[in-house]
Amino acid sequence: MTRVPVDCWYAVAFCSDVSDALLPVQAAGCSAVLYRTAAGSVAALDDCCIHRPYPLSLGSLARDVVRCGLCGFEYDATGRCVRVPTQPRVPVGAAVRAYPVREEHGLVWLWLGEPGRAVRHRVPSLPWLSDPSWASVSGALTVAASFLLLHESFADVTKIPVLAPEIAPDVLAAAPPPLDVVVSETTVALRRSFPAARLPSWQARALGAGADAPFEHDQYGEFASPAAWVDHWDVSGGGRVARMRFVQLVTPISAAESRLTWIVSRDFALDDDETGKHLAGMFESYYPRLAQALEITQTLQSQGRSGSVNVAADVAALKVREIVRALLAEELGR
Amino acid sequence: MTEARTTLREHEGELVVESVTAVAADVVALSLTDPAGAALPPWTPGAHVDLIMGDELVRQYSLCGDPADARRIRIAVLREPNSRGGSVFVHEKLTPGTTVRVRGPRNHFALVGAPRYRFVAGGIGITPLLPMIAEADAAGADWTLLYGGRTRASMAFVDELARYGARVTLAPQDEVGLLDLDGLLGAPAAGTLVYCCGPEPLLAAVEARCASWPSGALHLERFAAKEAAAPAAGERAFELVLARSGLTLTVPPERTVFDVIQDAGVSILGSCHEGICGTCEQVVLEGDVDHRDSILSEDEQAANETMMVCVSRCRSDRLTLDL
Repeated sequence: MTRVPVDCWYAVAFCSDVSDALLPVQAAGCSAVLYRTAAGSVAALDDCCIHRPYPLSLGSLARDVVRCGLCGFEYDATGRCVRVPTQPRVPVGAAVRAYPVREEHGLVWLWLGEPGRAVRHRVPSLPWLSDPSWASVSGALTVAASFLLLHESFADVTKIPVLAPEIAPDVLAAAPPPLDVVVSETTVALRRSFPAARLPSWQARALGAGADAPFEHDQYGEFASPAAWVDHWDVSGGGRVARMRFVQLVTPISAAESRLTWIVSRDFALDDDETGKHLAGMFESYYPRLAQALEITQTLQSQGRSGSVNVAADVAALKVREIVRALLAEELGR
Repeated sequence: MTEARTTLREHEGELVVESVTAVAADVVALSLTDPAGAALPPWTPGAHVDLIMGDELVRQYSLCGDPADARRIRIAVLREPNSRGGSVFVHEKLTPGTTVRVRGPRNHFALVGAPRYRFVAGGIGITPLLPMIAEADAAGADWTLLYGGRTRASMAFVDELARYGARVTLAPQDEVGLLDLDGLLGAPAAGTLVYCCGPEPLLAAVEARCASWPSGALHLERFAAKEAAAPAAGERAFELVLARSGLTLTVPPERTVFDVIQDAGVSILGSCHEGICGTCEQVVLEGDVDHRDSILSEDEQAANETMMVCVSRCRSDRLTLDL
């Protein structure tokens, strides 16, 4: 697949990362510069001066106006050119493109498609990210693999015990339970429930449960949009439920390069630094390892290799592929 | 190690009727929400859902609300006295506060991006076009709608279309006669797509006029299955190969391809079982498919790349699917 979906809200930064400093971001073949205006909203302008190509993000910001660091052209938060250094008159209609922006769930979302259509599309619902009864650790990395390879790997329930056995809970090592895959027009969800088994030691400690106390495990994963794969991992035992959410924000940069932002949230041991540190360490090592594997797959794919054998459990990944193909077909000609 | 069973199904849930609004003579619009207020699956213009009103009473209705609204979907239903019971059930039983099972959404009438659209609606066929028009308008596309109905009072959503002004031409038959399709469609033009939904005679007329248009320009949606002719000599058996599953099966005359696939334990989705919803579409690798569905265009049928396995069969001795 050589194109990436454009008609989608992509997460490009945490809200807390956007300030009065110019922040360059990339998504779906576009480069944008973000900054926070004096009024508190986020401005997102095409990151290229219209005079001569030069990133606005290498310029300067004063009173909501961005100044090109090469030629001195100045732009307001709507993208309109408001001053040029060498003549009193601003070239008529001169402007850089301004992208529709939303701040939801603590994230900045960018719309790169036709601006008028932005309001007709949804940002995935991730309410726990802004809920004080949850705590999160997060990280981000650039992966030399297509956004679709990332999603297909999130859809693959078999990968973790093979790729990263040391972080796989005991239940994943046992015989896999039935997998229920549910599709809608643009989403794919998978669900499975594991019989009671002991928790990983960090989690037993965090919950104050005995090392061998049996907990049932429920897994739910969803391709919410090309911008987000969300996993739920809930354990229940001894009359309590402890919930985890894994948000994997996928932002295609180009056909074979993606930005992956991961946010691992829990609704237990909120103030427990040791648990937070343990989870951060675990996933700061896991996601780069996954990325490395996908980069190898991407390289092999670009050499013409394509895995052609599928197993029943691949149906979720195949459905994701089908949905992405349909979304791209709808964008043809636009 | 025992084999893990994988099941594949469509999203399905019990929704509550939030409101019922009369939007034309004999047409009601229903707003449906999740009883717990959960977000409903996203959809794009042209999508439809199944309303499951009983074991034998499953009907497809196009979504005609706002796709950005995660809380509710809207459908509009014409009461048809000659219906097989679906529309009467909706009109008589689905009052505010009642619940109904809803499956989907799915979309086989997707709006492909284009600079120019010609929309043609006949009667209740306006429903899938309503969100398409909103999308085309938001995208800044050049578009027009020709909307026919028996009488002005029978035409739903005329008030919602008023804001588009001269782009919309209303053509109640008792006032202006039949639709001026030649006037609307004109000569084939590059970059123009035609989207039409309405009763069979309208679809046939639009299909005939678009015969000279570039392949892929015309997009139709039918309410009911085209009359699919079974051969007079009766059905014949053929061999069915599921390439990825490594299975070779036989489809006997009295069974469908769908049933044979399902019985073999291969994951497959199906819904209407009459070739109108598109859920069971499969990729064809080999075989001369006898297309009997109402979804694929003539071009798509001739391309022989996919088939609806609930109704379509095979003229050659072997059918190979990418399944």
